[in-house]
Amino acid sequence: MSKLVGAPLLIGAVAYTPNVVPIWEGIREYFDEPETAMDFVLFSNYGRLVDALQAGMIDIAWNTNLAYARAVLQTDGHVRPLAMRDTDATFSTVFVAAAGSGWSGPGDIATRRLVLGSADSAHAAILPLHYLREAGVDVDHLHIQRFNSDIGKHGDTGRSELDAIDAVLAGDADVAAIGITVWENIGRGDLMPGMLEPVWQTETYSHCMFTALDTLPESVYAPWVSKLLAMDWEVPAHRRILELEGLTRWVEPHLEGYNGLFAAIKEQGVDARW
Amino acid sequence: MVVMALMRTVEQMAEGDTAEFAVASASELELVRRWCEKTGNTLVSTLMAEQDTGHVTVGRGRPRNPGSMIPADRMPGARLWLYTNFHCNLACDYCCVASSPKTDPRLLGIDTIQALVTEAADWGVRELYLTGGEPFLLPDIDVIVRACADRLPTTLLTNGMLFRGHGLRKLQAMPRQGFALQISVDSPTAEVHDSHRGAGSWERALAGIRVALDEGFTVRVAATISAHDDPALDELHALFDGLGIPRADQVIRPIAHQGVAEEGVAFTRESLIPEVTVTADGIYWHPVAALDENALVSRQILPLAPALDRVSELFTQQWSSATATTSMFACA
Ligand code: SF4
Repeated sequence: MSKLVGAPLLIGAVAYTPNVVPIWEGIREYFDEPETAMDFVLFSNYGRLVDALQAGMIDIAWNTNLAYARAVLQTDGHVRPLAMRDTDATFSTVFVAAAGSGWSGPGDIATRRLVLGSADSAHAAILPLHYLREAGVDVDHLHIQRFNSDIGKHGDTGRSELDAIDAVLAGDADVAAIGITVWENIGRGDLMPGMLEPVWQTETYSHCMFTALDTLPESVYAPWVSKLLAMDWEVPAHRRILELEGLTRWVEPHLEGYNGLFAAIKEQGVDARW
Repeated sequence: MVVMALMRTVEQMAEGDTAEFAVASASELELVRRWCEKTGNTLVSTLMAEQDTGHVTVGRGRPRNPGSMIPADRMPGARLWLYTNFHCNLACDYCCVASSPKTDPRLLGIDTIQALVTEAADWGVRELYLTGGEPFLLPDIDVIVRACADRLPTTLLTNGMLFRGHGLRKLQAMPRQGFALQISVDSPTAEVHDSHRGAGSWERALAGIRVALDEGFTVRVAATISAHDDPALDELHALFDGLGIPRADQVIRPIAHQGVAEEGVAFTRESLIPEVTVTADGIYWHPVAALDENALVSRQILPLAPALDRVSELFTQQWSSATATTSMFACA
């Protein structure tokens, strides 16, 4: 247990955009009360964040789904999932093609040139292959191109997904696997009129998770979690943080949403150190 | 594809930082607007060189207060517009207040103007803009200008066609310090300008600019660009450069869809950073909407300060609400 009596709770996160600083400063300000005081430490990649959690350098890690799975696997399950964004509970991957392709469903992807995002992005590389395999596609014989940008950041920057979309638009690939967030941010294609159309969408799965070790006392994390869940979209000061972080409210962990990822890690032999 | 450029750039910017993007059509501008709304970012300003192409400035996130993204000289209340009168010697087909020789003059009058300017200066207004109609149709325009320029830096918008006889004498009586004339020239040759404003108007506007420069006035030129005309921006700038007018004093803007304009960029009150505007009919949100009942802030002209307070307050609320996007429409 790293928490010293009276010391602020220490949260670790990965700095994938400069906004991580104002986001966490806003969060720290929100929690600035004796019961819930916290501070934050930023890491350059999720591998080191998970190391720091295990080493007791931080109390809670703001993990991607892959980082959460890593933490579970590396600690033999001795973690305590605390909370996630509403948007994390219903994440999915969307397969998109150039408008007019008329393709629909995994069968139409099986015979096309598929482009994936960063190899360490669960939503843009690992889970797309897993769900295609589950849908009966022979992924070992798929024609696959990858954009391995920003490795270590688990696809947080979204760059590899934009590279994948560009490859489809340029005609260098047929179908791109992108996260639902990127798809939503282009208005499900409406904001790029006449350019993209969806081919298939995976079932929903879970994404990021505040993760502690199971040695963190309840008296320490419980007040913090209940204050987190109390953040309110209708309060302008809260909304600013929620908007920058991409959610409308914090929710309890949805653990069943990680089953696909644990299976995918096994199937694909995903690197343990990312 | 402007949305891909936004996704690549804005998402990686620090909150409050801004970046400029080129837009190639009115529909691309609309896409930028919608993308900003959807993603919680801010369309800070649009500067359309012509109706369909131009640049937009997009800010990351939503600013905590408008002052962090809007320059101080554009904050609500920094500028006050006064419509001295509504009648005009011309009847331009895109006039945003439908002026013509037959229009009811609706004069503000020197006494009201004096009272407005005193209040404005005390409130913190930094600059005055006098417009119409054609202000040089007023026999006391020189007195009005003096009353304004004595208190605050003042710009007078004119078509520049009446600088002879009485008009010239009135011009000569105006101050050279703290005062500028803004004269409209829409095209590098007479054809386009005259097609909107009337035969011979281009020649006379250019003659007016030369007279004003010779008299030692600071002259800004403003071009109102129609989507249907070739903007010929390079030639237009070359013409203005040739007259010795610095680039910073060359204002180019699209037609606003107001007044008698059948085409133009449509604005709503929510989409414009306010520039408080007083006419004989009341106080309005912005000079391009001085006939628009939706943009009416108050029927009562005096006292002015409550209206300035109200506009600032409304704007701050609008700015911090989740979906507001605003743009500056450069009248001057
Ligand atoms: S645009 Fe100016 S010059 Fe033309 S009619 Fe209107 S007020 Fe007069």
